[in-house]
Amino acid sequence: MTDTRAATTMSISPCGDAAVRVAVDGDDTDRVWTAVHRLAGWLNHGGIHPTVTAVPTYDAVLVEFDPYYSTGEEIASHIRSWDITAGEGGAAGGGVIDVPVLFGGEAGPDLEWVADVVGHPVPKVIDLVCAGEPLIRCLGGPAASAMTDGPDFGVPIPRLATPRLRVPPGAVSVAGRQTVIGPVAAPSGWRQIGRTPLDILRTDTDAVVPYRPGDRVRFVAIDETAYAELLGTPMRYRHDD
Amino acid sequence: MTDRPELHVDSATVCVVTDLGRLAGPARGLAVNGALDQFAARAANALVGNAPADPLIEATGFGVTLRPSHDVLMSVTGAPAEPAVDGRAYPAWAPLSVRAGETVRIGVSEAGLRVYVAVHGSFDVPRLMGSCAPDSMIGFGTQVTSGTVLPLLRSHPPLVNRRFGATVFDFGIPRDVGRVSSVLDVIDGPDAAEFGTGLQRLYDSPYTVTPRINHVGLRVAGAVPRRSVTGEVLSRGVPIGAIEAPTGDELLILMRGRGITAGYPVLAVLTSRALDHAAQLRPGQTIRFHRTTASAATAAYLERRRLLDRIALRARTAFAALV
Repeated sequence: MTDTRAATTMSISPCGDAAVRVAVDGDDTDRVWTAVHRLAGWLNHGGIHPTVTAVPTYDAVLVEFDPYYSTGEEIASHIRSWDITAGEGGAAGGGVIDVPVLFGGEAGPDLEWVADVVGHPVPKVIDLVCAGEPLIRCLGGPAASAMTDGPDFGVPIPRLATPRLRVPPGAVSVAGRQTVIGPVAAPSGWRQIGRTPLDILRTDTDAVVPYRPGDRVRFVAIDETAYAELLGTPMRYRHDD
Repeated sequence: MTDRPELHVDSATVCVVTDLGRLAGPARGLAVNGALDQFAARAANALVGNAPADPLIEATGFGVTLRPSHDVLMSVTGAPAEPAVDGRAYPAWAPLSVRAGETVRIGVSEAGLRVYVAVHGSFDVPRLMGSCAPDSMIGFGTQVTSGTVLPLLRSHPPLVNRRFGATVFDFGIPRDVGRVSSVLDVIDGPDAAEFGTGLQRLYDSPYTVTPRINHVGLRVAGAVPRRSVTGEVLSRGVPIGAIEAPTGDELLILMRGRGITAGYPVLAVLTSRALDHAAQLRPGQTIRFHRTTASAATAAYLERRRLLDRIALRARTAFAALV
């Protein structure tokens, strides 16, 4: 299906008997991302059936369903008739979260390696990471990790050939042209460049993490003293009191 | 003994309280989790007149010993097992009336891995986003160990004679309902083309289940198809049952606790029915992948769900007539 106004196209592929992948293609990555999150919002609010759920990322939506109620073909036909250009909205968030990060050393074992790949000295790499306020594009694995566009490194960062069995909670890592903040300890093949001392995830509330896609993050470099002082502080929006 | 009905767990090894999964999780970045053998979990609840998503026990690899404080109605499904009440054996996949203080021992046979135990009225356990399903990544869930006491929401008057279980409660369950297949139906994945003709190895080769199996994934060793294209890919949502090839000598099958996004291409995806079989695989078993279509998979799945509908209806009707 092609829509020339939006210059975006959708392609839908089956993923077993209980999911389809909707990939959105287009020149404007923001427009693609907005379409992806609008589609997911519509699906997650019962657009097709209450049992249909959607996982939006950068340029794709994984749509999962119970094959008792729908088939992939039915889902695909509903999605094809959904107007990719209509309406406002997209990702729900709009807040800003300041994320203090201790870079390098044990907190960021891959920082120097990344600096070598990028071809800049370490301080310049830290400046690039802390420049701007990148959008949280999606929540991903493991456990509602905040995934943003990567810093303006100019080159994609290769993943580790053998993933680490465990990176600690609060790890800030890069791979490809993405950056991720991981709320929990987990295996990871990404390049860990730093770590935030903030507490990110809690299981006593349904929100679980304090951010949504569409929020922005500002990475702020801190030293070990500040890291120790901030350890365990809950992560929250900049303007929360 | 208190007035509140409870289930005392006298022994348990790898055991949790779970349900059909956290359906609101994926939209917020969390895995759905929940019972790995969804059919067995649904059947266990149906057999005692519970709602499909009510909390129940999932015991993996090892048996459990349970003792209710009040009269209860329970059911045991999943891996072939023969529950014994005070030493006397009763059939699985059937309602089982247990009196207060009796001891129920449930083993897990070598023919499967996971057993489900539902109790009429279900358990009062903490929930997150409406689900009690454990999530090992975020450290949520109700673990069951020796000495755990699970609060029950209701007791159940004893059925007059436990002996009539098999005959009176004819819920039309096929004899081979718990049989585990080592042939897993799969559908070509969204990235199958990246493997070119190499994808055929997936269907031609046997694979051995490794000891690395849990709620997140199941690793199988064998001939791994090679990707014919390379390049950095953006993280995307990955379906449950996705087969990936992250290393040279093992395939990874993603289970219900998988991180919801990944950057690896998906060769093929297990069908919903095959996921129930995969939940029952033991390390060392040899498996094969069989290519099927979405419409065939849906037909097979609907047949099983309609069986569950019949069980649930007959159970509700039978208990309504008795109580």
